[in-house]
Amino acid sequence: MKRSRVINLDRMRKNPLEKPLLRPLTLAIASITLAACSQPEQDVQIVNSVEDCVDNTTLTADQCQAAYEKALTEAHRTAPRYQSQSHCESEFGYNQCYQTGNNFFVPFMAGWMVSSLLNNASNTYNPVYHYRNSSSSYRDRLMTADGSVIGRAGQKSYKVPSTNLKPKPTVTRTVSRGGFGAVASAKSNWGGGKKSSWGG
Amino acid sequence: MFRLPIAEREHWQTRAKEFGFEFHTMYGEKYWDESAYYQFSLQQIEQDIEAPTEEIHQMCLAVVEKVLADDELMRRFCLPEEQWDFIRQSWQNGDPSLYSRLDFAYSGKGHAKLYENNADTPTSIYETGFWQWLWLQDNVDSRVLSLRSDQFNSLQEKLVNRFIEIGHLTPDRVLHFACCKDTPEDRGTVQYLEDCAIEAGLTTEFVYVEDIGRDTEGNFTDTKDQIIRFMFKLYPWEFMFQEAFSANLGHNNIRWLEPPWKSVLSNKALLPMLWKMFPDHPNLLPAFFEDELHLAGELTSLVKKPIFSREGANISFTGSKSVIASDGPYGEEGYIYQATHMLPKFGENYTLIGSWLIDNQAAGISIREDINPITQDMSRYLPHIIL
Repeated sequence: MKRSRVINLDRMRKNPLEKPLLRPLTLAIASITLAACSQPEQDVQIVNSVEDCVDNTTLTADQCQAAYEKALTEAHRTAPRYQSQSHCESEFGYNQCYQTGNNFFVPFMAGWMVSSLLNNASNTYNPVYHYRNSSSSYRDRLMTADGSVIGRAGQKSYKVPSTNLKPKPTVTRTVSRGGFGAVASAKSNWGGGKKSSWGG
Repeated sequence: MFRLPIAEREHWQTRAKEFGFEFHTMYGEKYWDESAYYQFSLQQIEQDIEAPTEEIHQMCLAVVEKVLADDELMRRFCLPEEQWDFIRQSWQNGDPSLYSRLDFAYSGKGHAKLYENNADTPTSIYETGFWQWLWLQDNVDSRVLSLRSDQFNSLQEKLVNRFIEIGHLTPDRVLHFACCKDTPEDRGTVQYLEDCAIEAGLTTEFVYVEDIGRDTEGNFTDTKDQIIRFMFKLYPWEFMFQEAFSANLGHNNIRWLEPPWKSVLSNKALLPMLWKMFPDHPNLLPAFFEDELHLAGELTSLVKKPIFSREGANISFTGSKSVIASDGPYGEEGYIYQATHMLPKFGENYTLIGSWLIDNQAAGISIREDINPITQDMSRYLPHIIL
């Protein structure tokens, strides 16, 4: 056979299964239950301290300490960032945000994820944040730095798509945009703007 | 190789909507055309297209090796000197390639002749890897086509597998996809590649090329201020090399798809270089740099192609009585000349075959038709079968 044996048609189908994406604020909140229909799920526990980790997971005390440090490092690198304290607090609650070295405001880490499949030192322990905006339907949910909702705070364990266990990108402060695209823009004036592709 | 008429699938437009194929008709003209298809024998596919495709790819890699080692050739290929380190470094690192498409003139008999290599930003991959696959599946399911019909098209399967491999080489990074605004065709192509990457288990994001930002340390960012560490761009390297953010290229730790060394191959200077290194190869057409036209000897009919161009723009025939030429915004970097070898004609149509590679493996073909002998971005796309 010279062609692809199987193609996952569900993955290829775009309508009516458009992914719903809510982007109310800086933090893009994505509801996992809707977006994750075809992703494999994993069970995770959310722990909020080294003691909590030792008591409630299969990790040893040393592993829990290492996991905590990794999660903190991840939080410094990836936490959702806000220009003002009030903006951050409107989402994560009064006194739940702090100022970083480069003048952003970020929420405190509410805990981190431990998966039963993730128990060696090289793995990522993604931090989670407790969303508290009282006017949002996502109030009292735990979410990761990119706004993926894990579930209501306080549960023993959560089912999450495995992508949520991967490291999140580093967040920075963008100082300029538009540094790419100028050549295409100049060339597109040719032909009355009838340009369908920059490929070939 | 035959061109055969066939009934269009009933409600195929609804099927296109279901699967998000938005650009089957563009500017009121048909782009996807299933009123006919091409039929090949297995021998034609394997011997005349698949094998030469893989061989030419290896020859192209030999060109990259040679050009990168020679400043004079780097200039001939119009690669800006500020980017030489960036391009060379990516080759020395062995940065992986995802895909390419070689364009051939082939009539079903004799040797397929290479027109050019779309090594950096090849398009029509969705139509090829998925949509024509589905067309065959539907027509076989309804018994309009024989159950024994096959297609040279393992593109999607190989794409997903290649994303898995590149993902292993690039652990723990989010793959950002990018294309320009206002191009539904490019947006659709990039969405398809993103779907394949997700199928391969990668984590993805999308950002428009024009929206890419920069932080104070020279990192590129998306619209959520996330640092980009791994990027697929459907945007030519030769454009990026001229633009404001080009100074940061090579200084911000990004795995690029396609890798920067592909800028050597998406360049028409490749064609005279191949002819120099592999003279009289049966799948090559004689080709010459502008200042070496004396080497063309007795060849009187040549095609003039800009060093950089896309989708058949700015191509003209010389030496023939009537000049056939296509318009376009390219050509300022100079031209190369290639021996004229007309596309085969099936009925009223000139037919071009695009032969896809995933990394270094031949992975399928796409067929474009036009009533003009120079196929362009609006040339119709037709499916094919092997029987």
